[in-house]
Amino acid sequence: MRDFLRLLRRFGEAVTALFMLLIFATFIIQIAVRYGARIDGLVTVLPFLNPDLYGWTLEFCLALWVWLIFWGNAFVVRRRDHVTFDILSASVPRPVGRLFLGLTGLAVGIGFLASIEPTWGRFAILRLKKSATLSSLLGDWIRMRDIYSIYLVFLAVVGLRAFWSTAEAILGRELPARADKTGGDDA
Amino acid sequence: MTTEFLLCLTVLFLLAAMGAPIAHAILVGSFVYLIADGKSIGVAGKVLMDGLYQSFILLAVPLFIVAANIMNAGTISDRLLQFCVALVGRFRGGLGHVNILASLVFSGMSGSAVADAAGVGKVIIAMMTKSGHYTRGYAAAITAASATIGPIIPPSIPMVLYALVSNTSIGYLFLGGILPGLLMAGVLMTMNLWISHKRGFAVEDPVPLSDFPKITYQAFPALLMPAILLYGIYGGVTTPTEAAAVAALYALILAAVFYRSLSLHGFYEILVTSARSSAAVGLVIGGALILNYIVASENLPNRVASALGGLDVDPLLFLLCVNLLILLLGCLLDASTIILVIIPLFIPSCRELGIDLVHFGVVAIVNCMIGLITPPYGILLFVINAVTRIPLVEIIGEIWWFLSVLVFALLLLILFPGITLWLPELMGYAG
Repeated sequence: MRDFLRLLRRFGEAVTALFMLLIFATFIIQIAVRYGARIDGLVTVLPFLNPDLYGWTLEFCLALWVWLIFWGNAFVVRRRDHVTFDILSASVPRPVGRLFLGLTGLAVGIGFLASIEPTWGRFAILRLKKSATLSSLLGDWIRMRDIYSIYLVFLAVVGLRAFWSTAEAILGRELPARADKTGGDDA
Repeated sequence: MTTEFLLCLTVLFLLAAMGAPIAHAILVGSFVYLIADGKSIGVAGKVLMDGLYQSFILLAVPLFIVAANIMNAGTISDRLLQFCVALVGRFRGGLGHVNILASLVFSGMSGSAVADAAGVGKVIIAMMTKSGHYTRGYAAAITAASATIGPIIPPSIPMVLYALVSNTSIGYLFLGGILPGLLMAGVLMTMNLWISHKRGFAVEDPVPLSDFPKITYQAFPALLMPAILLYGIYGGVTTPTEAAAVAALYALILAAVFYRSLSLHGFYEILVTSARSSAAVGLVIGGALILNYIVASENLPNRVASALGGLDVDPLLFLLCVNLLILLLGCLLDASTIILVIIPLFIPSCRELGIDLVHFGVVAIVNCMIGLITPPYGILLFVINAVTRIPLVEIIGEIWWFLSVLVFALLLLILFPGITLWLPELMGYAG
């Protein structure tokens, strides 16, 4: 079980790294193509640099960014990576801390899982809506609901993870320490 | 304020105070609001996804995070540091000046104060404590204080967030930050000089002038980065978001090819770390989008604006009051929450009172950055504590002097809008 979870985590990390790399690379391509088009004769020699072929870059990056956020939060972001307001929760005695962890896990778990069905209902209309530019890259099948669907994965996984942290609080496992907090806020 | 909204805020603050991630607390709070208002809780997801999918400018956030992480992982920051030591290390309080100068130079490349403190800051704290001339609390405090300059000098993630909520030009915001950033460096250096004289900190051995060309040569490609970024944006070569990608690419080429200090595995680790913090920040941004939707449906900003309009408030008094509020909130909340959630409340009022939004934005961001070092909740204090293990008590004990000069600089920025607006106006900003 433990090995399986570790493997899953590695896979999750590799996917976010790929998203990040693709965003980065797509931007570079976008800039290169734009300036390539200004060089006389370049497009005739290298037809794949024709700017008309790259109308999708912007929307592709946006889709990757949305997937990066929600995939990342579902599978890669740890509790200590989050932006939290922990003055109170870090200074209360251990049993109270456990109570807090249990209660917040319960609230987030119930809230997130309960919102899956209504959210799916709201996204229903998007099953008809075509993406503005992504069809040229990914094929004609893609609809806006496919792009938005990652949000539902996020709701389900984070909801279950929240219940898990409630279970941990009840069982009295180690609470996250504030000294570990080095990420999260990159402002 | 309606009961539904009050309920939403209560749930939000209760969950956040109990230690739930801010973004999760906002989501659950917004669910409660929507239920109480008789709407489907599915609306939250739709608003959030639409908002994120339409905000092209936000793509700069992950790219600036990657750029900063590449610079920290490669030896780029070390080389810059050596250059700064050679330049100002010879004066009294030398390493303190080095610290501030390094933040200034480094901030021209990274958009994040936390990255500055955790990267270059960690190295220089070690240098300062090893020299034996400074207490570790002083070293940590001056590092925290100077890291606040990072997001004031472009590029800047907080400015990207402000541009999103205020619809101001990111290019002019970046320009507007340059002089205020230099002013902050100036007041910090003055304070460092004064304390060094008062406490009689010893002077370091100066770096021989004969070493100067070599050190400069090694740091030169890294020093070019701010120039490339600014030329890219203001020369019309790239959009600010694209400039973030160019910055990341340039840092990658420097670290991997020129300095040969980055392996493929190292690059993979950077991608994972950057993705992790981008996702965490992205979710807070998403939460803020929902909250802004709720605040807008409550018509709150316009009510604030019309209430103030009726009171005939002096713009300067308004600015001072709002800044006092942000300063107080900065002791408790983190900067992205303030910029995305609190500041939009005041933007209609600013328009009503004729306050320039670039000026307001730069002042508010300086203020939020000061909030990063105000106890009890100062993320920079925590980060430095986490990466150096210097006790928080010692850091906080030394932070007050630096904090007070930064507040003084903030006051100057409020009273003299020209400091912020001179450069943007020079480049054609019409106000």
